[in-house]
Amino acid sequence: MMRSNDLLKQLSATAFFMWDLHLYLDTHTCDTDAIALYNKYKEKYHMLREEFEEKYWKLSTTNAQGVEWIKNPWPWEKEGCDC
Amino acid sequence: MFQYEKRLQYPVNIKNPNPKLAKIIITQYGGPDGELGASLRYLSQRFSMPHPELKGLLTDIGTEELGHLEMIGAIVYQLTRNLSIEEIKKAGFDDYFVDHTTGIYPQFASGVPWTAATIQSSGDLIADLHEDLAAEQKARKTYDNILRLVDDPDVKEPIKFLRAREVVHYQRFGEGLRIATDRLDAKNFYAFNPSFDKCK
Repeated sequence: MMRSNDLLKQLSATAFFMWDLHLYLDTHTCDTDAIALYNKYKEKYHMLREEFEEKYWKLSTTNAQGVEWIKNPWPWEKEGCDC
Repeated sequence: MFQYEKRLQYPVNIKNPNPKLAKIIITQYGGPDGELGASLRYLSQRFSMPHPELKGLLTDIGTEELGHLEMIGAIVYQLTRNLSIEEIKKAGFDDYFVDHTTGIYPQFASGVPWTAATIQSSGDLIADLHEDLAAEQKARKTYDNILRLVDDPDVKEPIKFLRAREVVHYQRFGEGLRIATDRLDAKNFYAFNPSFDKCK
């Protein structure tokens, strides 16, 4: 099974790629190639996110509360952690 | 409104504490060209922006800067964990420690607290966008200087990521400025404030 750090890295890389395209599209609203690329990665992102949240921890307040939300690790606490 | 996502934009996993470095890097948390100032600058300026592209750009970049603020906080936090009093004294961390222990406080590397005097929200889109371009270069400069002072690859990697983001934001703001100037009234030779003054 993939470790949480590896899966989180993949998820974050995909989310970052989408985010950078999102910024680019603020000033290049008609670039259809960039829009197509964005949509391609969106699908991958949702798959990774679903897999991650199922295996490790919930990422947003809209789908977790109480024990599920407050459980460790918080993002700044992963120092030298190989988990 | 804003919603939190429980992950960093780029991973921070620092194995070796280094309080001396923490005291330098804290400047990108609350220093003159740091991430707190960046996010508040853009998120405040957006209210008076006239064009949809610019409202989007300032909202998005201002939001990303909040994520960078969190990354810098994580770096400083991890650099100052499990310290002994001896290590604190030896690293010259004692002057920070006496006020904040190992809490994360927004200040310059010199110890001056974060101040809104380092940012502007002028209500003039041309003035604001020029400030934003300068701000991205000033932040890039600070990251360059941090990279000159750091050897630890665990610290270098996230700092290099943040430096690269300043370059990308500079590019986007440049496009924003071009959009803004292209849409000035043809009679507005001197680019007086198109957010406030009306040409006709």
